Amino acid sequence: MQFEDFINWLNGIPGWLYDVLVWWFNAIWWWINLLWDSIVIIWASMFGNAEVLAYWFKAIVFPGLVFILLGIIFTVWATRKTWGRIQGRRGPYNLGKYGGLQLFADAIKLIGKESIIPKGAKRWMYRFLPSFLLVIVLLPFVFIPWDTDWVIVDLSVSLVLIFAFLTAIPVISLLAGWISGSKYTIIGGFRAANNQFASEIPLVLSTVGPAMLAGSLSVLSIAQVQADSFWFIFLLPLNFVTFLISAVMSVGMVPFDAPVADSEILFGWRTEFSGIWFVMTYFAEFAEMLFYSAMMVTLFFGGFSGPAFLPGIVIFLIKLMIVMFFFIIVTSSFYRLRQDQIVSFSWKYLLPLTILNILIVMFGMAYFGLYIGG
Amino acid sequence: MSKLGTIANSLRILRHVFRRIFKRPFTYFYPWEDRYYPELTRGRHIHVRENCTACSQCVRACPVVAIRIDKEDKKYEKDAALYFDYSRCLFCGLCVQACNFDALFHTPIVDLSADSQEKLIYGPDRITKIEREPLEWRGRKIR
Amino acid sequence: MKPDISDEAVELWFGPQHVAAHGWATKLTLVGDYIVECDPNAGYFHRSAEKCLEFRNFRQGALIMERLCMPEAFLAEYPYVQAVEKIAEIEVPEKAKFMRTIMMEVSRIHSIQFWWGQLAGELGLFTMVLWPWIDREYTLDAFEELTGSRHAVTYSTPGGVKYDFTDEFLRRLDLAIYHLENHLGKFKDMILKSPTFKARAQNVGLFSTKEALKLGLSGPNIRACDYPMDLRKDAHDPNLKYDQVDWEVPVLVSEEHGSGMCDAYDRMIQRFNEVDVALQIIRGLLPQVPEGPIIDPKVRAKTNRLPAGEAYGRVEGARGISTLWLKTTDKAQTPYRAKIRGPCFNSYYALKHLMPGLRFADFVLVFGSLDPYVGWWDR
Repeated sequence: MQFEDFINWLNGIPGWLYDVLVWWFNAIWWWINLLWDSIVIIWASMFGNAEVLAYWFKAIVFPGLVFILLGIIFTVWATRKTWGRIQGRRGPYNLGKYGGLQLFADAIKLIGKESIIPKGAKRWMYRFLPSFLLVIVLLPFVFIPWDTDWVIVDLSVSLVLIFAFLTAIPVISLLAGWISGSKYTIIGGFRAANNQFASEIPLVLSTVGPAMLAGSLSVLSIAQVQADSFWFIFLLPLNFVTFLISAVMSVGMVPFDAPVADSEILFGWRTEFSGIWFVMTYFAEFAEMLFYSAMMVTLFFGGFSGPAFLPGIVIFLIKLMIVMFFFIIVTSSFYRLRQDQIVSFSWKYLLPLTILNILIVMFGMAYFGLYIGG
Repeated sequence: MSKLGTIANSLRILRHVFRRIFKRPFTYFYPWEDRYYPELTRGRHIHVRENCTACSQCVRACPVVAIRIDKEDKKYEKDAALYFDYSRCLFCGLCVQACNFDALFHTPIVDLSADSQEKLIYGPDRITKIEREPLEWRGRKIR
Repeated sequence: MKPDISDEAVELWFGPQHVAAHGWATKLTLVGDYIVECDPNAGYFHRSAEKCLEFRNFRQGALIMERLCMPEAFLAEYPYVQAVEKIAEIEVPEKAKFMRTIMMEVSRIHSIQFWWGQLAGELGLFTMVLWPWIDREYTLDAFEELTGSRHAVTYSTPGGVKYDFTDEFLRRLDLAIYHLENHLGKFKDMILKSPTFKARAQNVGLFSTKEALKLGLSGPNIRACDYPMDLRKDAHDPNLKYDQVDWEVPVLVSEEHGSGMCDAYDRMIQRFNEVDVALQIIRGLLPQVPEGPIIDPKVRAKTNRLPAGEAYGRVEGARGISTLWLKTTDKAQTPYRAKIRGPCFNSYYALKHLMPGLRFADFVLVFGSLDPYVGWWDR
């Protein structure tokens, strides 16, 4: 009898540990809520409007501007360290522990450099376009659901609007290549436009599968639907692969980086930008990479859904880091394809696979009643 | 099907890349760790003035005329002062090979960068000893 | 050019200031993405090596030769040493002959490791730049143990070699060979089976044996067309010991194009074959190295002043046949005239006939697959 009670007690320990974690999480969250509520009360007593504070906080500090910029810096750091480890070296290690401050040092150094505008370049567009590019790349981040209520804007058609923003990016690249006034940059700009021609359709069509399964075009509801049932990666693995490949193609990273091929056209449409404009185009590339990783987490890996003792945002970040890791591995394994090979690969292999995905989803929904969304 | 072969090859490539991440990187933390320099490493020279006989064979052997000799400057009976110009030196070792009196050797000191050409001309005060100025970088001693 | 395309044609200088141009300036005429004309211009790296050789005595001249092509340092300095030995009619000890041959094959391996990294860098994959270069570090460690310098080895002199094989060197050479062989399978997976490399390199830079002979190509570029032109077997040099090992000239019968044609992909396969043959020669010669002196000082003293004469030294380098013609006047300390011929001269000018019809992005690939090194052309 005593031995049985002992076994029962042992069986109860994991549950007890789980409850302890949940208790701690709730306790910390209670304190943070207390702090937040007191700020809201102070704000409301001063300005009389409490929702605006929440909105401004979300837009600027927490999943907003500061968070995204720190996220981009983290992305660049993680990418450089991982590329270093893949290549048998360490990434930056001098500044800051594990080289974390290297990005800040690079940015400060580059901003302090003399900004040279070539003679054949259109001066005001040259100054305007990199900042415009960075703004357009940062805009789709407002739709990403970092947690159930930590999304800045939740529209019912946010998926469509995201791609509306992202379609503008290669157009800006083409324009940037043209106004830089050099033959190499024009070639790079045209290749960027060609990349869009190759990558946009598989990219957009790859998101149709999860949208159909979830029954809505809002990114937040796609993530929420996965919180209640399976993650879509288990139902649509092929869709994830095509989205990953077309995302790499859309960003313009190796192996699809013919627009910025640095052995043929000397960094393509980014060649002539120096100093602070280089910082902006460089960060725009990694911001796009961060954004596509966040999209992959939202669409296929369930976003913020996971164990209950962790806040949704932490789960999202863990999944984001894993997806970014795979992104980085894919971008450093294959040789660069020629531009016409990118187009032919995308139209001959990627697009039929994407359409196959949609057909599979439609088939599953029609004949097996596989309807997850509400 | 060759398409399946392509996918298999791609997965094999990804596996090679993935496995490399978890191996120890090849680089080391220069300047706090340094690699092993073999005995014969042709670095900076050292001139042993006790054995020098001012025969100036080293000057004649040098293909880029990086050595200048001053025969008036004697410390022991028959030696001379040598001035090595490291902005011209090729580290080819012909001068060390030419010296028959064991007065000129290579050392494994290879980090010789300086910020002006005058500092690269090693006169008899510097070329005869191995000790160098202490160097500190970001609060840590290197030598 | 036809008048109807000259309106759309864009002249682009793949100029001397370019990351991947190796110091050459090529004027490309592009229509759309296709190259219509290719006009090679060289001379931006001219360092007047031939004139410098006239001011260096016969023991210093090899230094200039090896700096023409650093990756194959041992191979590059050999023509000069051979020419001086022919004019002075001096004998080289047996041990030195073996050592020279072994080190020349190790240098060939080093050059190919360097080239793998260089070509991958031109094609955008930085991973495959650094992986061969990590193995190259072990080879350079072996060079450093032997001679004291990693790149600018001054190893051969007229009359013998300067540094002897030590146990530590043999241990390091074994380590270098071990690392190389261990990773050959991985490199074949990453390069030859990579779908993107196949897509880039197949049917690009295609030429037949006849065209190659007309353009004057030599070395791995023409052996990839199944034409066994190899100076190590064709012109037997009594000063080198290639006949002491049983080996075959590495040729390649291309899978796609059959015998007599090769493209960039075949040239890559060919260089893997070269590495195999080089390893075979090294392994065959290492146990056969005899005891003895490496240089005779009296013989070396004869190279101070040379009698009048002309001689021709040549070597099968990693990129092709490199030669040097030397003329001396009586009792001179320096040569009267030296004429250097490098294989990359022909490779570069071959682009004039190979490039039209290919796309712009193929330029670096074709150029890289012919293994360019600017020192051999611009001297």
